[in-house]
Amino acid sequence: MLAEIRKGKTIPPVIKHINQEKINLYAEASGDFNPIHVNESFAAQTPLGGTIAHGMLILAYVSELMTLAFGQSWLSGGKLSIRFKAPARPGDIVTATGKIDSIEDKNGISYANCSLECHNQRDGAIVIGEASVKLAGKEENGSE
Amino acid sequence: MPGYEFPPASYELSSSLISKYLKAVDSPEEIKTLGEFVPPLAIAAYAMTAMAGSLSLPPGAIHASQELDFFKLLPIGATIDCQTKVARKLTRGRLRMLVLELNVFDQSKERVQSGKATIMLPA
Repeated sequence: MLAEIRKGKTIPPVIKHINQEKINLYAEASGDFNPIHVNESFAAQTPLGGTIAHGMLILAYVSELMTLAFGQSWLSGGKLSIRFKAPARPGDIVTATGKIDSIEDKNGISYANCSLECHNQRDGAIVIGEASVKLAGKEENGSE
Repeated sequence: MPGYEFPPASYELSSSLISKYLKAVDSPEEIKTLGEFVPPLAIAAYAMTAMAGSLSLPPGAIHASQELDFFKLLPIGATIDCQTKVARKLTRGRLRMLVLELNVFDQSKERVQSGKATIMLPA
């Protein structure tokens, strides 16, 4: 968990290597066997030109980033809004990053508003978005 | 069509299902030791799969955006009810998109999660 929750704080990144085996494993775990993820010959004939990772797999990495930073506050009081900008493909190294943009008080409850991004090893954005986390108590967040 | 509600789907978030999920997302030990709770993205993933099953999405459909709100932690072994409806249908040039709303409840009818997914359909 983050030792200090304050505006401007960078969240430690989560780095994952994508390969077809992981994509297949996710398909089995989630039940999502869309051929764009698991059928290489089908995917090769689409405009994407090959298989891509499930968007929800990449979001799991974003959620891991937020869970490691905020613990149970994220799990039961998190809010996420993201856009998939480009697919993650087998062979990609995906880095999920985040930063606390502001600490906001609404009706006596503090929220950490964060910007999020996932990019690949070529610095191409895969996911961009925002998240907010309801913090357990005002005294714990070091708000400015 | 917009407003159409899909038949609700239920999932039991069994220990074996969640172990398989945690392995698939390459979860570190720190996450696994958060213990007996189901990761919210696992709940979202099963809700999305239930939705995709009801929809019979065409091969090649891809996820364009996602919103999620987490309200409640669920213990492993809990059963969820997933409700999905079509919020909007969009056409931009050759692109066709579906915006779907999903709500997940536990067995005491308390809301666990809500979300909105935009799915891009192949031309």
